Amino acid sequence: MDHPNTSPAKTRWVFVMEPERCIDCEACMISCSVENEAPLGKHRNWIVKIDKGIYPNLSTTFLPENCHHCSNPPCERVCPTGATYRREDGLVLVDFDKCIGCKYCMMACPYDARFVNEEKKAVDKCTFCVHRLDAGLPPACVETCIGHARHFGNINDPESEVAKLLAKHPYYRLYEEAGSEPAIYYIYSNRVIE
Amino acid sequence: MEHIEFHWNALIVFYLFTAGVSAGAFFVSGLATYLGGERYKRISRIGALIAPWPVMLGLLSLVFDLTKPFEFWWLFLTVQATSPMSIGAWLLTLFTVVALVYFLLWFPRPWRDLLKAPQRRSAPNTPRIWKPLDQAQINKARRIVAAIGAPISIGVGMYTGVLLGAVPARPLWNTPMVAQLFLVSAMSTGAAAVLLIAALLRPKAGHDYLHEERRFLVSLDIMLILVEIFIVTPFFLHQALSTWSSSSSLRILLGGPYTLLFWLGFVLLGLLAPLAIEGFELFPVVWREQAVRYSRLWAGLSATLVLVGGAVLRYVIVFAGQVSHFLPLYTR
Repeated sequence: MDHPNTSPAKTRWVFVMEPERCIDCEACMISCSVENEAPLGKHRNWIVKIDKGIYPNLSTTFLPENCHHCSNPPCERVCPTGATYRREDGLVLVDFDKCIGCKYCMMACPYDARFVNEEKKAVDKCTFCVHRLDAGLPPACVETCIGHARHFGNINDPESEVAKLLAKHPYYRLYEEAGSEPAIYYIYSNRVIE
Repeated sequence: MEHIEFHWNALIVFYLFTAGVSAGAFFVSGLATYLGGERYKRISRIGALIAPWPVMLGLLSLVFDLTKPFEFWWLFLTVQATSPMSIGAWLLTLFTVVALVYFLLWFPRPWRDLLKAPQRRSAPNTPRIWKPLDQAQINKARRIVAAIGAPISIGVGMYTGVLLGAVPARPLWNTPMVAQLFLVSAMSTGAAAVLLIAALLRPKAGHDYLHEERRFLVSLDIMLILVEIFIVTPFFLHQALSTWSSSSSLRILLGGPYTLLFWLGFVLLGLLAPLAIEGFELFPVVWREQAVRYSRLWAGLSATLVLVGGAVLRYVIVFAGQVSHFLPLYTR
């Protein structure tokens, strides 16, 4: 099967998350809101907290998340106006002018990554900071991640940090059964940090 | 239960319900025209006169559920083949137009005279004259429009379910049950709307066909209710025996906030109660070849129950579906 995330020639932007390095400081959420001006109370990225075990053997893991920019995006498929589209390099973006706010994409997203932006009167979500990418910069959340839990790069470039991380460690993706081919990879957290 | 924001709300429920009633009323009217002709004329007329209006109200409520109601026309600048909503927007528009034509064909004069047909030229080189249809032309046109509209109305009934079913992320919706049930329920609520209006109107003196039309509607409705029961039952069995996502989405209906509403509002009041009433009415026909028991009270009551049940069904599915979700696999 053609695996759209790993066909060589093309650029494919992905996140590689190391949940073990995330300390839930929420700096990524702050920098995102500053960079992308998400309305008060709404966030383009977030952190899932998972408690495991039974007292006294407890642990908490933090899972940084944002839009997964799927290769087979369920949101794009159902958009009735074509407002949600997929760019050549795999970014899934929303054209705010074309979005009429039917919220069908919010029903379709397995990650609940989308929200209604009341200021724009449209559905909004993470863009992988497309304006920064196009200027040659990494997304804002990556730059402010103090634990280096968020890694970003081109998975089709073997020299990139993300490709090296994925070659070295076992990883998983979320809700793969939705058939969405997400572009956020998570390194298994039950390992010792070197 | 964790806090869930419902992005699709009562306006969507109303829209799905009204689209179903319209599709059903149209289909029942067409069916009566073909099966009964003159005998079921009252049913055909009531169905035709109802059909265009609920769906138009529903579309209006859908538009006002948008964040940008006045930019809904973006829907009609494109056809997105993979989006049920895009297909549905076109389908509903087509249906509304056909239903309005059908409405005019059944409307008494003078509105009916808005529909004109060209007359044969009296002499060569004279302009064609457009005249209102005569009765034979009207009858023919009614049958043609009913035949064109029937598949479209089935499409509308099914679309209301496919809209929800096309979304893998909500396991309760992502089953064939929703489209099947919504289609049959659309037909059932459409028949009930006709039944209700027929019960509210005092039949004209000397109306000979009252019992026959009553028997037609009641047997149709009983059949549809039975089909609904045969859709719901296997759905529950299959979901219960399926993956975590499916069986847990079933739990929302079996032991969650929507349990009472589903079982009392839909299954008991919307299916079993009207089935009992209509069975009671039809019983003499089946057993002793007598006329159907007719009382306007029973007829109105069973029709109201079917309509309420249809609305409750859509409410429960729309809201419970938004609660259903995949197995939270953040466990690694």
